[in-house]
Amino acid sequence: MSPATLSPTVEIPLLQQHLRKALFISELRTKRKSSVLEEMVAVLATADATRHPEGVLDAVRRREALGSTGLGKGIAVPHARSTLITERSMVIARSSKGIDFNSPDGLPTHLCFLIVAPPLERDPVYLNLVAEIVRAVRLAKTRQRLLDAPDFGTVRRTLIEAANG
Amino acid sequence: MDESLDVLIQLQDVDCLLREMRDPEMASQEERLGFAVEGISNLERTREKLASRVDGRLLQTYERMSRRFFRVIVPVNGRVCSGCRISLPTNTIGRNSEGATYEFCENCGRILYRR
Repeated sequence: MSPATLSPTVEIPLLQQHLRKALFISELRTKRKSSVLEEMVAVLATADATRHPEGVLDAVRRREALGSTGLGKGIAVPHARSTLITERSMVIARSSKGIDFNSPDGLPTHLCFLIVAPPLERDPVYLNLVAEIVRAVRLAKTRQRLLDAPDFGTVRRTLIEAANG
Repeated sequence: MDESLDVLIQLQDVDCLLREMRDPEMASQEERLGFAVEGISNLERTREKLASRVDGRLLQTYERMSRRFFRVIVPVNGRVCSGCRISLPTNTIGRNSEGATYEFCENCGRILYRR
């Protein structure tokens, strides 16, 4: 077989691998940080990513208690590992009203990315995924496009473009 | 899920978080990404409280096995232990002092939970 016929290995960005419509909340119902985390974890249960949302929520809250995962500029990336999660998952949620996430700049959070993963010993992917999100939303125009996106498809495209850009 | 097993799962999650926060490489990666990390002593107290709620014999088994395995409590996927990936022939049942039962993987000895 000539090299030309070999299909090149395409590396799909981590962020792209974790985008699922069932794990997207277009507009959060709640406004307080604690209930927002609860709402996001509940989506994990609905999408069958866990059958024990209470235990997963405990893990997320414990991580949050170590220091806020609000990054500023309207972004928060809460993340935790839990025995009750069998597959790495990401929930994306938007809040037009804004959530007080104790971010360093004191501004309300409008875009929230919740990452949960099982506790694996060698899993650089977990924090690499967090890093990819942080990179993808660094530009103000990307953040605005994500907030203005009419549907999950547009959110998905925007994030993929930003991750590849 | 049995309450003692539920607490033990929380204990394992706390241990995982403590290991990450004590790992200089992981802790600095968190900080580089912009996340604040503090209050580890509170987490250590949470661990103590959780450990005090677990049956003594079960806790001893967990502590002993956690020196060998990163994850001591693992889910069963179908009939496969997700720790060692071996199909479970029959379940080995352990029993704590209050009579509650736990399943152990016959191959690796990990504590199992059903999803």
